[in-house]
Amino acid sequence: MLKTLSKLTAAAIITLALSAVLLARTIGAGLSGMTLQNGDWTTSTATGSEDASLMLKAGVALGGLLASAQSDSMYYRLSAVDGEPLRLNCRYRIEGKDYDANWWSVTAYGWDNYLMPNLPRRYSFNNENLVRDTDGSWVITVAATAQPGNWLPIGPAGAPGWRKTTNHDFDLLLRLYTPGEAYLNTPMSAPLPRVIREDCQ
Amino acid sequence: MKLLKWLLGIAAVAWAGQYVLALLLPNLAMETLYFLGNKRQGYNQLVVAPVPDEHSRQVVRPSPDLLYASCIYNLKEGALTIEAPVPERYWSMQFYQMNTDNYAGITNQRAERDRVGSIARVTLISADQSPEDYEGEVVQSPTSRGVVLLRASAMGDRSQQQAALDASSCRPANTQQN
Repeated sequence: MLKTLSKLTAAAIITLALSAVLLARTIGAGLSGMTLQNGDWTTSTATGSEDASLMLKAGVALGGLLASAQSDSMYYRLSAVDGEPLRLNCRYRIEGKDYDANWWSVTAYGWDNYLMPNLPRRYSFNNENLVRDTDGSWVITVAATAQPGNWLPIGPAGAPGWRKTTNHDFDLLLRLYTPGEAYLNTPMSAPLPRVIREDCQ
Repeated sequence: MKLLKWLLGIAAVAWAGQYVLALLLPNLAMETLYFLGNKRQGYNQLVVAPVPDEHSRQVVRPSPDLLYASCIYNLKEGALTIEAPVPERYWSMQFYQMNTDNYAGITNQRAERDRVGSIARVTLISADQSPEDYEGEVVQSPTSRGVVLLRASAMGDRSQQQAALDASSCRPANTQQN
């Protein structure tokens, strides 16, 4: 009797752990059925809404709790370039222009979903504080070491490394507040910044 | 053969189990947020957070370009009044229930630009109360507990938006602001 109970307890613990791993993988892979792709960026029109799928709600609970609904803001997330997860030892170039929204910003987050500690205390760039070219276009360099121009520093996440469950070291979030029609109606083809991996050490 | 049966059984239940976990997770995350928020700031009062940085943990994925103020609410003791001066730059007041749904919101954007310069005064009531019993703008919460989150632009000179959040309040509907 005791032996059977021990076996059942062990099976229950293994099952629960396996369920958690499967859930983390499903959310991480964006298999919510409501995630939309636009180049390397992913978004969802149902974030924060009552229509969100079970998996999307679980994903929001883990990585975007208190996100607002699409009419107020749209969030595009990028965690890999051409299928390669974002790494702290690589340098990335983000090229863009202006986007149809009341305001927009590009923010870097650690794998723990919080802002990453860095000496200059620079966590994002927005449409007002970017240094631009004369034609209004801009470039942000994402790197761990100081870069000329719009440098978005990255570094280890604030949470201890043993808790890391993601493939990527960090990700980028494009926020568009009061987004224009293109983002509301055709989010998979609306104009977005381009992210290029320049080099890795 | 017996071991294989066990392993197949565990795999099958674990596969189904991920959907049960997904169902529980939003409520669990909100309960945690509610518990920590209540412990830190109490409920039915508005607390303005410092400008987000690497130490900020009140909101997941906080934006350094926004100022935040939150009210962890419990409507069991009655309706709440939320008052907030509406600044010129981006501002919103969003309502979340305990399963993470953003069930209502007001803003100073699009058709609501005429709110700028006014004071948004919202009565927040529970599902078992009637909106007809209250005057003005009424929001009905599907659950008796939840979170109200105010966002305001922190871009450039943020003094007006900061002053607006500092002057905002969340309190029982039958009391006056101090």
